[in-house]
Amino acid sequence: MRPELRSFGRLLTIQASWNYERMSGIGLGYACEPLLGDLAASDPARSGEAVLRAAGFFNSHPYLAGVAAGAETRAEYDGVDGKQIERLRAALCSPLGALGDQLFWAGLWPVVLGAALIAVVFGAEWWAPVAAVAIMLLVRVWVTRWALRTGLRSGIQVGVALQNARIRAWIPAAGLTAAFVIGAAVPLVVGAEDGVRGGPGVLAVVVALVGLAVGQRKSVRFTGVGFGLTVLVAAALVSLVVG
Amino acid sequence: MSPFQLLGLLVVGTVAGLDLASGPQVLLARPLVAGTLAGLCLGDLTAGLVVGSALELFALEVLPVGASRYPDHGPGTVGAVLAVAYIGPHQLWLGVMLGLFLATIGGWSLRWLRRANAVAVAGASAALQAFVPGILGQLHWAAFRRDLLRSIGLTALAIALGWAVGHLSAPPRTWDTWLNATAMGAGAAAALNGALRNAGHGRRVAALGTGLLAGVLLVAFA
Repeated sequence: MRPELRSFGRLLTIQASWNYERMSGIGLGYACEPLLGDLAASDPARSGEAVLRAAGFFNSHPYLAGVAAGAETRAEYDGVDGKQIERLRAALCSPLGALGDQLFWAGLWPVVLGAALIAVVFGAEWWAPVAAVAIMLLVRVWVTRWALRTGLRSGIQVGVALQNARIRAWIPAAGLTAAFVIGAAVPLVVGAEDGVRGGPGVLAVVVALVGLAVGQRKSVRFTGVGFGLTVLVAAALVSLVVG
Repeated sequence: MSPFQLLGLLVVGTVAGLDLASGPQVLLARPLVAGTLAGLCLGDLTAGLVVGSALELFALEVLPVGASRYPDHGPGTVGAVLAVAYIGPHQLWLGVMLGLFLATIGGWSLRWLRRANAVAVAGASAALQAFVPGILGQLHWAAFRRDLLRSIGLTALAIALGWAVGHLSAPPRTWDTWLNATAMGAGAAAALNGALRNAGHGRRVAALGTGLLAGVLLVAFA
């Protein structure tokens, strides 16, 4: 199998060995290993050092980690000083993380999920959630391939390539669309629940407003799961006592 | 529940757990997807879609950013769907409560997994320093197997609790409608808090408000 293809496959599970010590470092080193194969033949000493460097501390967005894998590998082949490669790797963590978080976690994911929720409310069956997965799978494959190739092409100049990358321009549109779609999906999902009309509907709105008020207070560490469990247990107890 | 259905639920929950922690992170861990697939396995797609949609509201709050702590909703959703498939959607709140409880346990299990991975990496530091051939692959796949066991265990617990809730819950009461409304209201609060946090400023908040208004109007008039 071609080294680039093996590295691509490994990048799909880069988070598997995520830990509090090196974060995604082991996964990134494992993804770089096949790419450094030729270096192992020509310069075994440098190859060992390169893999060690690649497996050091690293944290970014999993979809875009290929940029770092490719850039580091290319820099190793170009004979760039090891310290400079380590600095490159450290410098890539934040921009790649921020780009991926905004574009995918806070952009495309909510858009696709919100659209699937709305489709289900309007009568779509199993195909809507399955289509959401299919879309994200295609995006994951395309972005991972793009990231790895961009890194391999650019090497130490990867910062310039990222500055000029077209995907950066998609962030504002993705964020706005996500906000709109989630805004529309929430009342539709709540309203689609049987019986949540009239009195129970008012209760749902009151609970939502209380949760929003609590969640927006900076002094309170709000989690939706914690809030949900708390109000449900309280409501169930009230229903037992009163009912 | 037939052995094939049980196996199907176990596979759906395990794949959901793996998708969140190990990858490829393509929405298989989301309650809407895990719930739909669990519903298909049980031959009760309605239960899957209803529970999946309700729990998705809670999951929308959280971004799975690497170092942050977040719940694992996927395997728990499987148990919640199983419970609601037995008791019916009029007691959706019980399924939601079970799903949220299991998501919390899932979150704890993720922290255990990451600590266990760190211990394994620290234990292999000498081998890493000497660059023993194949050491990165060993560490990586050992972590993957750990996540596999975590996901299987969490899904098995979810199925056991889902079965128990499905068989031991009280018969339907008039209060159930109010409890369902409470669950949906809490889910709306979670989703909107997450959306507001992501929106952050100006135009995105306006887009969120516009979407919210459009959704409310559709509920009122559609």
